[in-house]
Amino acid sequence: MILSPEVLTLLILDFLFVLFTSIVFVISLQIWKSWDLNSTLASQYTLEKRSFLASTIIKFIFVIKIPLFLFFIFTLDKISNVLTGAMCGAGVLDATDVGNYLIMLKVINIYLFAFWLVLNNSDLQNPTQPYTKLKFALFSFIYILLIFEIYLEVDMFFSFEIEKLVSCCGSLYSSSSDSLISALFHVDNSLLVSLFYVNYLFLVIFYFFKNNYFFALSNTLFVINSVFSLIMFFGTYIYELPSHHCPFCFLQTDYYFVGYFLYGALFMGTFNGLVVIFKNELKYYKISMLFNSLYLVVVSLYVGVYYIRNGVLLSPM
Amino acid sequence: MKKMINFYLLEYAIGSLVRQKSKNIFITIILSLLTFLLTAVFFITSSIRYELNQTVDALPEIIVAQTKGGKHYDIDVSKADSILSITGINSAIPRVWGYYYFKNAGVNFSLVGVGEFEDDYKEILENGLLIGRGVRDVLKKSYFKEYFNFILSDGSLLKLDIKGEFDADTELESNDMILMSKDNLRKIFDIDETKATDIVVSVANPDEVQTVASKIQLLFPNTRIITKNDLKISYQNIFDYKGGVFLALFIISLFTFFIIIYDKASGLTSEQTREIGILKAVGFTIEDILKEKFYEGIIISLFAYIIGVILAFTFVYIFNAPLLQNIFTGYSELKTSFTLPFILDIQTLVIVFFLSVPIYISATIIPSWRVATMDAEEVMR
Repeated sequence: MILSPEVLTLLILDFLFVLFTSIVFVISLQIWKSWDLNSTLASQYTLEKRSFLASTIIKFIFVIKIPLFLFFIFTLDKISNVLTGAMCGAGVLDATDVGNYLIMLKVINIYLFAFWLVLNNSDLQNPTQPYTKLKFALFSFIYILLIFEIYLEVDMFFSFEIEKLVSCCGSLYSSSSDSLISALFHVDNSLLVSLFYVNYLFLVIFYFFKNNYFFALSNTLFVINSVFSLIMFFGTYIYELPSHHCPFCFLQTDYYFVGYFLYGALFMGTFNGLVVIFKNELKYYKISMLFNSLYLVVVSLYVGVYYIRNGVLLSPM
Repeated sequence: MKKMINFYLLEYAIGSLVRQKSKNIFITIILSLLTFLLTAVFFITSSIRYELNQTVDALPEIIVAQTKGGKHYDIDVSKADSILSITGINSAIPRVWGYYYFKNAGVNFSLVGVGEFEDDYKEILENGLLIGRGVRDVLKKSYFKEYFNFILSDGSLLKLDIKGEFDADTELESNDMILMSKDNLRKIFDIDETKATDIVVSVANPDEVQTVASKIQLLFPNTRIITKNDLKISYQNIFDYKGGVFLALFIISLFTFFIIIYDKASGLTSEQTREIGILKAVGFTIEDILKEKFYEGIIISLFAYIIGVILAFTFVYIFNAPLLQNIFTGYSELKTSFTLPFILDIQTLVIVFFLSVPIYISATIIPSWRVATMDAEEVMR
């Protein structure tokens, strides 16, 4: 177990989250059971008031959760100094059994929270409040995931063994490891990179056709393709090292924290791209395209600049 | 896109805060003090850790100490030669040093024998000492101004002259230090020529330190090997632990604060109730009032946070953290009185931010919701 100020801060805020989301969860169940907008009973009136409390709390938690996620990554980087063998967050996550699930769950939860807020917004703008039951049902689901996430996080922080040797990202993200990632090493780089660019092309096409379902679908694929191509291809140009495939190291000072920017842009782009499913508005298409393009330009620039400076690519395509 | 910040509402929020002057000033002061205390403690730890890490950087890569059944003993000088046979090692030097207890003042001096540059200092150290400033002050109090008498293990005295003192720059390391020749040191600690306190090994390639350390361990299983990295990790652990314990205690005051805020925000004066009634009558929705309350929370907590951080900066880096510094540097007579080096520790600022602003705002959520959802007709009655 590690008792560092960062970890304690995360735990204190987790405790607050559990406290407040539990309140919302109770309200959600009540609303799910007896919400009826046409009713004039006092109980319905109370429920309407409570739904405001619920949405305020969720907004609050979401606003805290985003910077807290960055802080979480940052904490992992810092803990990596203490664990023997770990050089960045990847090693720390791998040090316990739950680390990798935790980070995935965290990302999924952020998407879900953001999704909930958009749903809430469109619900409140509509006088008949058509999504109220749906959004609280969705929240009950998010609540379970969130509690699970916090459980995993606490579990992870308590099960660190400082003495134990852990793997460094260099060995985790290499063809020798037997994880899911290693399967990627058998795929040709050129295939991954072309998939990434083709996917972007689809985004552009559906942007012009304004087809919301296909646009959202391409955005979902874009997340996966981006992360894979980042690990396998673009990352190596950020490090200027053909053998280094870590998706965490570029979050550190040595690479000017560029990772935060890349992941941030990717999140903004794809999230707004998913929102169009229910809000078929030009605004979301534009934001989505803007950030996705920004992401694409930055990662491509790394390759371009490297090629201009050195006249060769890192590895044969 | 809808405007993110409603400036009219913001203006109203400020106005509302000013109307409730005494209550809000009270809350701001408490929150500022809490952030101040927390920030100051973290600033001190990070400064000291920085200073110590600087010191560690100058240390040799590996220290080899002899143990017998886990207890520390003097090591054979000849072991240095066997260690030298390991490839990748620059040098392996036996060191002679130890702590000398000076009963009059109740302090321990660190006695270090000079070997490497002995020729350069031969004249000075033949029968003399170089002492740190802290040592000088302690000795002066016992009227040892020109010389000092060491008590040897057989009860006789060894008189050595004080030949000079260290600069103030190195105070963190040299404050309690006495430098002398190895021969005199051996006399004081009764170590014979074939023994030394420990052996320091310097390794050319930092990546090989771990391998070399495990080779030495294999060569001499009854030694204790300490690498530079071990020291760094234990420093980080110690200071994380100290800061962590402080924070754990601090949680209690944090939740007390949470309850105070909850209570303060719940209690409404008739003036405030009337205000809500009027707002509702002129067409404010529940959302608007919630937003306005949220602005109030943000303004107060950010303001208190900034004040707290500025106070902590002045306290730690200008006044050098009186009182609080002792928690981390200890109370020894020979305590170093060094100035804390200035480090802009963004991470600390982030931690303190997360522990002040969200907690304050979360404490106000439920009370503001209560206020916002009050029935207009009930309020205006």
